[in-house]
Amino acid sequence: MTTTYISRHPLEDRLPLEPGIRAVDHLEVPRGKAIATVMAMDGEEAAVAAGLAASGDVSVRFVAPGEWLAISQSDTPEVLHRNLSLLLAEAAYIFDQSDGRVVFRLSGPNVRRILAKGVGIDLHASAFEIGTSSNVLCGHISVNLARSGENEFELIVMRSFAESLFDDLRAMGREFDLSADFAAEG
Amino acid sequence: MASLIHCPHCGVRPKEEFSIRGDASLVRPDPEASDEAWHEYVHIRANPRGRYLEHWQHVAGCRRWLVVERDTFTHQVFSVTDGAAAARGTSR
Ligand SMILES: [Zn+2]
Repeated sequence: MTTTYISRHPLEDRLPLEPGIRAVDHLEVPRGKAIATVMAMDGEEAAVAAGLAASGDVSVRFVAPGEWLAISQSDTPEVLHRNLSLLLAEAAYIFDQSDGRVVFRLSGPNVRRILAKGVGIDLHASAFEIGTSSNVLCGHISVNLARSGENEFELIVMRSFAESLFDDLRAMGREFDLSADFAAEG
Repeated sequence: MASLIHCPHCGVRPKEEFSIRGDASLVRPDPEASDEAWHEYVHIRANPRGRYLEHWQHVAGCRRWLVVERDTFTHQVFSVTDGAAAARGTSR
């Protein structure tokens, strides 16, 4: 028997394919998001940051000085890569990561208390504002953490760590009956 | 309580996010330098009690190399500088 691993989500065996019943605190896994790494060429850091800020539909996550993750809400990986290449030609290196990263969206009133079990940084809104993002350690796994709302965070993790992070997040959320499913919009 | 390091790029982080490489004050000898000098550089390390300059890499964060000046006895941190900036002699 042969298995095709391409386009196969790493949590397909762990989550029902249809959306289930949501608890107040919920872990949602969007499938098929277009994600790209953007690395500024030497001396072009400010120009690339400005270009990304003006890129509209793309959400931009800070990784390191001169390095970001760009996530598109609606484009395919090919379109995202082409748009970024046109926008940042001669200023940045762009790599498709759509199959290399997995996105988790954690939301609900207890979300900060859940994350506090694995993340060592202050997530109060005065210290980690909406729109902020950074690489942090969650348990023993390095993730890119972003605050997408008052009570909503997104974690982006390397594909091979996704199952392990999923288990950790469920254990962290068990106290609050955290529910989990794939996002309805795909 | 975890020791906290203020990464110039990521903010205050627990020490668990870092990997420590050791003495940041060593200067690489000339390629033609004596075996003695190379032996000193590669193998011999002081183990000071007090102020110490170290290379720390923020592996779980921005992955940048940092130069951390701290006290090995009290773990008070005096300064944290990006490694590239420190090498250029420009401190932030
Ligand atoms: Zn850092």
